[in-house]
Amino acid sequence: MNRRWLSRPDRLMPASSLLIVLAAFAASPLVSGRPLELFDAYNALQGFAQLGLLALAIGITMIAGEFDLSVVGTYALGSMVAVSTGATHPALGVLAAVAAGAAVGAAQGGLIARLRIPSMPVTLATYIALLGLTYVMSGGLSKTYPNSDATLWVDQTVAGIFSPRSLLTLAAFLAAAAVLGCTRLGRELRAIGGDRRASRVAGVQVDRHLVAVFTTSGTLAALGGALLGYSYASANPDPGLQPLILAAVAALLGGVSLAGGRGTPLGLLAGTLSVALLAQIVATTALPDFSTQLLYAALLGVIVAIESPGLRQLVDRIRAHRLERLS
Amino acid sequence: MTTADRTREAAANASGPQPSASPARGRPTPFAIALAVLVPLFVVLAVTTDRFLSLDNARAILASAAFVGITAVGATLVMVAGSAVSLATSQTATVVAMAFLATQQLGLATALLIALACGIALCAVQGAVIGFWGANPIVLTIAAGFAIGGAATWFSGGTPVYPDARGFETLNSTWLGLPIAVYVLLLVTVVAQWTLRRTTAGRQMYLVGENRAAARAAGLPVGRVTVVAWAFFGACTALTGVFLASFNTSATVTLGGTLTLDAIAAVLVGGTAIAGGRGSALQTLGGAVVISVLSDVLLLRGFSTGTQTLVKGVLVLAVVVAVHLRSAGSRR
Repeated sequence: MNRRWLSRPDRLMPASSLLIVLAAFAASPLVSGRPLELFDAYNALQGFAQLGLLALAIGITMIAGEFDLSVVGTYALGSMVAVSTGATHPALGVLAAVAAGAAVGAAQGGLIARLRIPSMPVTLATYIALLGLTYVMSGGLSKTYPNSDATLWVDQTVAGIFSPRSLLTLAAFLAAAAVLGCTRLGRELRAIGGDRRASRVAGVQVDRHLVAVFTTSGTLAALGGALLGYSYASANPDPGLQPLILAAVAALLGGVSLAGGRGTPLGLLAGTLSVALLAQIVATTALPDFSTQLLYAALLGVIVAIESPGLRQLVDRIRAHRLERLS
Repeated sequence: MTTADRTREAAANASGPQPSASPARGRPTPFAIALAVLVPLFVVLAVTTDRFLSLDNARAILASAAFVGITAVGATLVMVAGSAVSLATSQTATVVAMAFLATQQLGLATALLIALACGIALCAVQGAVIGFWGANPIVLTIAAGFAIGGAATWFSGGTPVYPDARGFETLNSTWLGLPIAVYVLLLVTVVAQWTLRRTTAGRQMYLVGENRAAARAAGLPVGRVTVVAWAFFGACTALTGVFLASFNTSATVTLGGTLTLDAIAAVLVGGTAIAGGRGSALQTLGGAVVISVLSDVLLLRGFSTGTQTLVKGVLVLAVVVAVHLRSAGSRR
């Protein structure tokens, strides 16, 4: 039973990556020479909060067989909007940011679903345009957030290891897991990602779901950006491609495939936690910065190898050859 | 009836009844109208801009199109051959720039050859994994970006690379009023266009990009064709890296900057479809020049960098939608 449960890549990949990284985290005092503290866990969860909503946003588009490059633009827009409008009422700033993100996502989703365009060039264009927009809004400089109460509030420790920011991120994952796990929606999204034409024929409302997926991804990315802006007490007009790439790594470690049709929010959660813990391990053990990059390269290399059809055929052929010899 | 015939018939049935003539002809689409309004508007805007119609400005436009353009022409082949895009372009250019500057004491020609070999090797390996094993290009190039970027930081120790000799300064000189990079861009475009249209490998790139499974079934060397496309892209990226290095006279790990997305934007504005199978190097050259002209007009009219980026994004979006609608219309 247990073996069968783990035999599916969308469970095996996140479970094993989280276990390995947790073991490495527990063993990190051997290298750093100081015992683990609650604060390390808090820091790791802060890293999780920074990446989580972005990873969830890109992850659900990947489950539906799309790839939303624009999330990092929406992320920047969200922090810029929240920081600009939420000085006196932080909640209002978050609302404005989320509304902007949802609007961008819905517009893109409508375009992609109605015209059946591949999402990558469309979201790439949106990303460039949003980057320009945040530059225009801030004049090319990072914008400071004067409300220090909000900054202190989002990062205060709750129960030793959490903060309101990481709890909100966790809540978003659990909500997504509940919605996709307990309703037909999860299966329908995977169906859209796996075989779009077949799911359309089977009566799945493909276009409506796609619009919803992109709206959700825009909303989540903007929310993540808004919280980040409050936490840093400033908004950066150009976060670069790094957050996007880390979010994609988290999603891939979470068992989502770029081809679509595979993955769950809980897998995404495990993948994101793995990436956040990994960053924390590198920080506590004072490994040089490039070692993280090489580590990510190795991890993705494994994913490429597992997923590439050519290699799988090779393995199958060798296995068949051996079976033939045995009989 | 052969299997191929049956597949073709099934495909024809699946896509419904087929009108014999293209429906787009005769009846202008909304995008044709938008194009007919916007292009003259833009031309008028450009021509009435102060200092736009001058030789110096034309030179400036070409010079600013050159760096990104060279890489974009190479990226066209990759996109035509159906491996979408490389997300490791900046890192590759950076590493090549470092190798080029670090080997300056061997002489300009040797350093140039080493740089080209470095770029071709890095990209050809990625092309081989994609072509022979069918690996996902996005995941693979993200991994390659991490590996190349990490290795670059490792070997350079995170400090800028400074050259021991100044031989590279020849590459910054101008000839007949234009920087050398512009001539290289034109040369690369001609070679790429000739490869795509007149060589077997180039023709096969379109077929592989159009339908990989069919190309494999027809016995085309899918792996080899993909490697050739990526190797060409590697050579182009290496040339951009060399020019970036010469222009900045030192190389840091962030030298590549936004090259990755700028190159993709130029290819897309040129009208090459991301799914592969169509597009040309000449169009990409056009795309790079159009982006450059647009930025130039906005700059001369006093708009900020942010506005230029915003307009560039909207332009890419418009072209992507227009190209998609046109190809969907002609296929239906």
